[in-house]
Amino acid sequence: MTTPNLSTTIKPTWCPGCYNFQIFAAFKNHIEKEIKRGKRKDDFAMVTGIGCHAKIYDYVNLNGINSLHGRGLPTALGMKVGNPKLNIFGFAGDGDAYCEGIEHLIHAARYNVDMTFIVHNNQVFALTVGQPTAVTEIGFADKTTPRGVANPPLNPIELMISLRASFVARVFADVKQIEDVLKEASKHRGFKFIEIIQPCIIFHPDVNYKKHTYFLKDKKHNPKNLDSAIKRAREFDYNKLAPKTRIPLGVFYVEKKATFEEKIK
Amino acid sequence: MKYNILFGGQAGQGPNILTSMLAEALIERGFYVFYSRDYQSLIRGGHNFNVLTFSDKPVMSNESSYDLIVALDKNTELLHGKKLKENGKILKGDYSNMYFAGSIFKIFNFEFKILEKKLKKLEKKFEENVKDARKGYGDEELKINLPEIKENDKKFYNGNQGIANGAVNSGLEVYYAYPMTPATPILDQLAMVEKIKTIELENEIAVINAGIGSSIVGAKTMIGTSGGGFDLMTEALSLTGIAEIPLVIYLSQRPGPATGVATYTGQGDLNLARHSGHGEFSRIVVAPGDAKESSEAANQCFYFSQKFKIPAILLGDKHIAESFYCSEGEPILIKSAKSTSLRRFNSYETDAQGCATEDAEQIRKNVLARLEKRKIIIEESKKFERIKIYGNKSSQNILLFWGSTKGAVLDSINGLDVCALQVIWIEPFAEEVENLIKGKNIILIENNSTAQLAGLVKEKTGITIEDKNKILRFDGRPFLSDELKEEIGRRIK
Repeated sequence: MTTPNLSTTIKPTWCPGCYNFQIFAAFKNHIEKEIKRGKRKDDFAMVTGIGCHAKIYDYVNLNGINSLHGRGLPTALGMKVGNPKLNIFGFAGDGDAYCEGIEHLIHAARYNVDMTFIVHNNQVFALTVGQPTAVTEIGFADKTTPRGVANPPLNPIELMISLRASFVARVFADVKQIEDVLKEASKHRGFKFIEIIQPCIIFHPDVNYKKHTYFLKDKKHNPKNLDSAIKRAREFDYNKLAPKTRIPLGVFYVEKKATFEEKIK
Repeated sequence: MKYNILFGGQAGQGPNILTSMLAEALIERGFYVFYSRDYQSLIRGGHNFNVLTFSDKPVMSNESSYDLIVALDKNTELLHGKKLKENGKILKGDYSNMYFAGSIFKIFNFEFKILEKKLKKLEKKFEENVKDARKGYGDEELKINLPEIKENDKKFYNGNQGIANGAVNSGLEVYYAYPMTPATPILDQLAMVEKIKTIELENEIAVINAGIGSSIVGAKTMIGTSGGGFDLMTEALSLTGIAEIPLVIYLSQRPGPATGVATYTGQGDLNLARHSGHGEFSRIVVAPGDAKESSEAANQCFYFSQKFKIPAILLGDKHIAESFYCSEGEPILIKSAKSTSLRRFNSYETDAQGCATEDAEQIRKNVLARLEKRKIIIEESKKFERIKIYGNKSSQNILLFWGSTKGAVLDSINGLDVCALQVIWIEPFAEEVENLIKGKNIILIENNSTAQLAGLVKEKTGITIEDKNKILRFDGRPFLSDELKEEIGRRIK
């Protein structure tokens, strides 16, 4: 069987060395493997928001929509309502998911549309050249906020678990980690929330995250345990890393429940 | 003959059931009935009333004074008593609404068993209701003899039901909404239809974006809201423009700005419907004038949105949405073939692969393609009844109106030397209007304060309507035919 061409003719315009390339490669690998396992290209659809993350839409030749800033989730919901067989991958930046469209994220956890939602979290508005978002650490300064960010960041993982989203995971922007979590997620029916810590090499560089991260599966974390999931989520509050800060990675929480498509008549 | 009856009381006292029972019974006897609803933004208490007007000839508006007032509470008499006609009667007293049902059925000489049948249909508190109704029927002494009417065939429904019916018969599959008066009842209507998915989401932004999602995978989709909710939708409206996505949007007007007057009527959003959304893109805007036209407008919106992959705005208002009209004959509905299936859509300008582009030549090409489409839409729209003309076609006096003012306008022109011109299609505008009104004494009737239709006419034809010839009502209430007739009479040449 020949693998269908998932490439477009567009040359990526992410900065050289951008972690988005890791996400791009992992996603393409994942879809290619799915197709090798018997899925058809048209079984998949992409939905993106607006920002650096959304450029992935131009580089992967799948159907879908490069939607509006913050509005990818309701768009994906509508697509799933119209065609429940579609396997939808939503992509968003932290600006999309946690600022402009946070209401949709909260409700998405309630609705439980069967889809995968991937947040490229670089803790900054990158494409608009470096303003703080809802998950930027206190003290972060840029031209718009010269005295530094004063408001505490959201903790999206804790938020999603508290809403009992049916699949909550976080990985670092590394091809293998992303592929692994996509594979894990593909076995789960429901709303799959995956946050990728994706440093912006220009406006929010890598502060040696990998030194602080550990894998939940190595600590025998049980993702069905809500209390334990919340506790793990609270270990990292998205503020500046202290020497002892630990950032758990992997699947925090899993709960099986009816999907949106099943619940509507 | 024409009778004007007011049913008033507190929310929860049941003036609506009374009104609809009488309306039904009168229609069964062949009369033409129209009723409107005036209600406040509250759940229990306050003051609500319905005005029912019936005649042996077609009627689609109310008048300002009453032959009968059914007062379910004391407030009704206080508020409306002075509008009772000289020989009119107030039915009042500390009775249930069904007591008054008995009285009024007696007055119009209905056999009691007709009322009894209607009470049975309510499927609740039957014994108690019949007892009260029988007492009211027995106590009542007034008798009004109505003429015998030849049997005729007509349906009785409101604008919202008309829209729902038109949408269902155009192949609607999914309807999204966030509750907002006066568009909400469509949700109730459609929720009863088995094959249609009706979905309430977290806000109007989610509603339109979900609508876009369903539409791009090929489902025929409609969304509904009023002005405030529509404002929230406009960024995504613009997306339907660039990405060529079919979507039917029901914009049911109420007085603004902002929350304005939540449960009353107005025509202040004509310009909003025309101009909303950033950037330049095509749309159609259709504004029906009664319940039957509401079905047709919904159908035309599906046809055009599918055929040309554009947003289609169905511009209604509270008065048309919630008033009940007698409709004769079936609405004219045409088939609308589906046009869209999932491909690569984009909110950016795109190249042939559906990828974002910043290439000047490509952008120019895309814009020109959209402009070209606009011309075809205009041509296609000419096949539809974008305007309607009533009255004396050669009259010097032209009444210009749109939307729900139709009822009061048509009920007021009898005996006047006027030609009434209804603009149904706001966009694309019917260019023949220019020749029809040029050099005439143009009298404009609108339910807003800035004469937005006059602005549209000026833009399209260069013709100015004199301020003194603008009859504008902007207190949240619909026009009443007797008052309007006087206003028109003063401006006729």
